[in-house]
Amino acid sequence: MNTNAFWHFLSLQLFKERSKHLSIIGISVMILFLLSSVLFISSSLRFTLEETLKVQPDFVVNRIQGGTAVSTPEIWGDELLDIYGVSKVTPRVYGRYFFEAKGSSFLIVGVDFLEEQSHENLQILIDSTDIKDFFNGNQMLVGEGVKAYLDAHFYKDSYNFLTPKGVFKKVNIFKVFPSQTNLIANDMMVMPIDLARKILGYTDDEVSDITFSVPNPDEWNMMTDKVSALHYDLHVVNKNDVQKSYENLYNYKGGLFLILFLVVLATFTLILYQRYSMVYSTERRHIGLLRALGWSINDVLKLKFMETLVVVFISYILGVFIAYVYVFIAGAPLLKEVFLGGQNLHNTLSFVPVLDFSVLTSIFLLYALPFIAAVLIPVWRVSVTDPKEAML
Amino acid sequence: MMSKMMIQIENLYRTFHHGSNEVSVLKEINLNIRQGECVVLKGVSGSGKTTLLSLIAGLDKPSAGKVLIEGEPISKLPDLFASELRAKKIGMIFQHFNLFEHLSVNENVTIPLIPSGLKMKEIHEKVDESLTLANIIHKQETLASRLSGGEKQRTAIARALVADPNIILCDEPTANLDRDNSLLFIDILGKLHSMGKTIVIATHDPLFDSLSFESTIVPMVDGKIV
Repeated sequence: MNTNAFWHFLSLQLFKERSKHLSIIGISVMILFLLSSVLFISSSLRFTLEETLKVQPDFVVNRIQGGTAVSTPEIWGDELLDIYGVSKVTPRVYGRYFFEAKGSSFLIVGVDFLEEQSHENLQILIDSTDIKDFFNGNQMLVGEGVKAYLDAHFYKDSYNFLTPKGVFKKVNIFKVFPSQTNLIANDMMVMPIDLARKILGYTDDEVSDITFSVPNPDEWNMMTDKVSALHYDLHVVNKNDVQKSYENLYNYKGGLFLILFLVVLATFTLILYQRYSMVYSTERRHIGLLRALGWSINDVLKLKFMETLVVVFISYILGVFIAYVYVFIAGAPLLKEVFLGGQNLHNTLSFVPVLDFSVLTSIFLLYALPFIAAVLIPVWRVSVTDPKEAML
Repeated sequence: MMSKMMIQIENLYRTFHHGSNEVSVLKEINLNIRQGECVVLKGVSGSGKTTLLSLIAGLDKPSAGKVLIEGEPISKLPDLFASELRAKKIGMIFQHFNLFEHLSVNENVTIPLIPSGLKMKEIHEKVDESLTLANIIHKQETLASRLSGGEKQRTAIARALVADPNIILCDEPTANLDRDNSLLFIDILGKLHSMGKTIVIATHDPLFDSLSFESTIVPMVDGKIV
């Protein structure tokens, strides 16, 4: 077959039957857009999560009694420091503060601003803060979500916390965290550890948990056993466990979408299959006619394969491009709520553009293979029947 | 000197199965057609002439017997060779024209040459030649869906001729034409006959009973040549 003549006829077929092809491209673009958006969001969240976890402490211990987290004695920090391989032991005070009227909550994090922080980003934020100015009265650093929420409820510069003793404690807003930290800091209020203790009802020798680092990863497994042996009610979580929990959460949400996508794709494939199989008589007649005019089975399959490939390729480029714009430029309105909607404050997190080759390949394969198969199998079936029968 | 044998049909049978029923459409057909001959298969509907034409074109497979085109058994050839034989040696004109309605006259006539390996320039030359011969070149840019019955038939003739085949098979070629267009079609057939083409026509149209050029009428009744 002369290549020029073939391409000429292929372009002719595509152009002359453009309404048919455009309708298929339209549906394909929608499906690809949906799939790509979900995978883009998942991979972007995974990337942000990995970046976030990189700067998290390796281990967190707290006290569990009767299946419930209770306050942890600060003295346990000294015991941890005695274990060989443990470094950067940091007690933390934090807890949820409920904004009763609206059913929302903030995460209060108390830190010792004069010591090195277990969380690198927190350290960077504190380093950029004028400590002298900060300690001039009760002050706090807040996430963007908290700031937006307080603004909406007319707490522009400060908030009055009600302590467990029934006393109001007014705390000023000193600074707002940048939006890049929103995945973890969106609903966070960072304040001096003693102030946090008062608001959350801890005594001076109690903390919420204690973090520490183990620089040698080979010691991680053993470290869990060593630390657990210190006290019967001590609970240890390492960074990998946290990562798994987050991944499970996002994979669960992404998985739900993938199932939905597969249902849509299966339906679409079925429609295509029907369209190109017995049901679609014009297509069948055309194939029979081509065969009657001297085209071999291979010639017919090549034409239909290339025709389908062009449709798939155009749909892929358009679908992925629109999804990219939707997720990384427009910020994925609607879908974002599905992925981040579990949070109690509105999150203004922007997705970090991540173009992973494996994701792009997965999108192509998940879409192109069923599509091409749905078209080519019926075409092949018709091609191998006698032309006379196909033309009936 | 005798012209060479173009089509040989030996003990040909075609049977269709509908559930447990067996319908014999062709029975014990033997026919030899030489180069340049014009054979008219005549018979009423259901006499098996269209089926016979399909078997000669290799569009269908016989239940028994064989069809040889220039000595080659078309029904036994692998697809690639059968397709090539069909493309190079046989031009088919169908009762319902069987054009690609979304393509123009020119594009319809181009189709048989796409797998031929010819360059586009050569294809265009052949298409122009064929359109001129079939007297439809003035409509070459018109979509097939916008043609009259006669114009569609002439497009189908041009398409059948474009690869310059030796054998032209016509299945009820005038069934959808008025008398004037039917006579015009017969004129074109006369031209093809004078060019030495082997022509086989399946028809029940009485216009083919007395053609102005030499022809052989082969009557068919109930799947048999009588």
